[in-house]
Amino acid sequence: MARKQIKIFGDSLIAKETRLAWMLVSPTVLIVFGLVLFPAFFSIWISFRNVGLDNLNDVFNAPFVGWDNYNQVFNDFAFKWQGWNQWGAFVTTIVYSFLSTFLTLGLGLVAALVLNRPFRGRGLARGVFLFPYVAPVVSVAFVWRWILDPGPSGVLNDVLMQLGLIDLPQAYLAQRGLALWLVILFQGWRYFPFAMLMILARLQAIDTTLYEAVEVDGGNTWDKFRYVTLPGLRYVMGAIFLLRLLWTFNKFDDIWLLTGGGYGTNVLPVLTYQYSFKSFDFGKGAANAMVLLVILVIFIAIYVTTVMRNAEEE
Amino acid sequence: MTAASRSLPKKSFIDQLADHLNWRRFLFALTLFLFLAMILFPFYWMVSSSFKTGREIGGRHATYVPSALRLDAYNELFNPEADYFQNFQVNIVNSVAVALPTAVLTVLMSLLGAYAVARLRFPGKEMLINSVLIVYLFPAVLLIIPLFTMLSSVSDNLGFQVQDNLAILVVTYLAQTLPVGMYMLTSYFRTIPAEIEQAAQIDGCTRFEVIWRVTLPLSIPALVTVGLYTFMIAWNELLYALIFLNSRDLFTMPIKINTIFNDPSNRLNVVMAASTIMTLPVIILFVAFERFLEAGLTAGSVKG
Repeated sequence: MARKQIKIFGDSLIAKETRLAWMLVSPTVLIVFGLVLFPAFFSIWISFRNVGLDNLNDVFNAPFVGWDNYNQVFNDFAFKWQGWNQWGAFVTTIVYSFLSTFLTLGLGLVAALVLNRPFRGRGLARGVFLFPYVAPVVSVAFVWRWILDPGPSGVLNDVLMQLGLIDLPQAYLAQRGLALWLVILFQGWRYFPFAMLMILARLQAIDTTLYEAVEVDGGNTWDKFRYVTLPGLRYVMGAIFLLRLLWTFNKFDDIWLLTGGGYGTNVLPVLTYQYSFKSFDFGKGAANAMVLLVILVIFIAIYVTTVMRNAEEE
Repeated sequence: MTAASRSLPKKSFIDQLADHLNWRRFLFALTLFLFLAMILFPFYWMVSSSFKTGREIGGRHATYVPSALRLDAYNELFNPEADYFQNFQVNIVNSVAVALPTAVLTVLMSLLGAYAVARLRFPGKEMLINSVLIVYLFPAVLLIIPLFTMLSSVSDNLGFQVQDNLAILVVTYLAQTLPVGMYMLTSYFRTIPAEIEQAAQIDGCTRFEVIWRVTLPLSIPALVTVGLYTFMIAWNELLYALIFLNSRDLFTMPIKINTIFNDPSNRLNVVMAASTIMTLPVIILFVAFERFLEAGLTAGSVKG
């Protein structure tokens, strides 16, 4: 059966190469397996156990509680759908991730098209366009909170009051509905550069003779965009969509900093944090995280089967 | 009549402007302007607010330009004599103490690992590549519970502290940065022709000499990218620091800024000053190494 015998010991060249290779990768393997893959499986185990602050020093012997943690999560008011006024974290997460991803992709496409045109100072503009993405999330989230500040000295309040559109200062991030939209807008603002960069790279790889062909056929700018640019971008847009969706789904920082998960913006990652590190019910937190994990596995499966296969074909 | 026809080719200024500003150019300029305004205003607001006084922050109107370059906020951060002294220098030191080792260790470890994956044949290689990719897609939020409980349990038995231990924080950051480094360096090594190394081997170099004398010098740009990129990840990281650090003396900048922000008294100018200090190095590094970093920003997600 074995095509070739693997010799790890001995003096053959292959054995030497194998030993060297394992020596080189061992630190990485140790960290990746010890601190990511093992914990990932361990969190499944925790989700069936009762782990609190009292038995934190003896986690490996935590009592088994069956599906208790899952039942608690699924019946929690913070998690489940209770009608249009109380979406619950599960539905909120889905709405939030999809809308943010679409917005990111749309803004990224427009930005990439703008920067794809030659103009004076393009290099500089390109660098500036990436600022929201590279700046620390804590800084930019707090600047936006300060811009949307509920006091009269918040910029948005000041501008709207001077224009006479509102009479009293508003607490924008503390209004159900509006808060979710603002968080989505923040996502678009912060992550569009990622989409822009990848779209830009692809745009510059599009064969310019295709545009000339459209011109020869009498097509206008719109035709060029429709028949050459968009088809050329289809694959990269799909890849960005999946990646951004995956990452937005699991994003903790942004919402936690902007609203703390209040006012109809609570999402699964923030809820996981609250269960585990506010109520110190690690089992419940892990059970909630399992919902994320299941969805994540589905995303990864789609990503691996579509995007990576396409990448190999290209 | 003749005079009028003679002056026809000469267009008036308005006509010239209209020609220049056709609707497409206008749309383009407008979009560009809107993007720049939308991006730059928050950054302007951050820096300008850091020079405002407490009164300008909490007034009845927004202050669009600070009345003077006042250093009240920076004083509060750094000057031990100021009221509400924040001792922010300690937080800067902590952030550097976490981000620098993370970057250096990631570069070293992923250099060795990626070299093996790109150049050597060994059993288990495919599995390693796949697990690194999956780990790369794995979010920090999913791992924090098992990591925290696991490390708490282990440390209790081995007699070291998990909480308030910057070394532990570095190790947990490595779990997030190593896959990124491995991924970026592996694809880079594949672009270096193996023949160069084989030539060195024929000349009698050992594997380590080959890595040290041939591969390393050739891959400096990629190593810089990985180093800077992982430095930024550790510099910006919030969640793990929030959970693993309890003592104010060990806070990294992100959680310190969060603490100042949540202070019941309005200290937004101080928050903005601290944010400026934290953002500035990142922006400077980014502008200085833009070419390298742009490749890094996309390399993680698109092959080749």
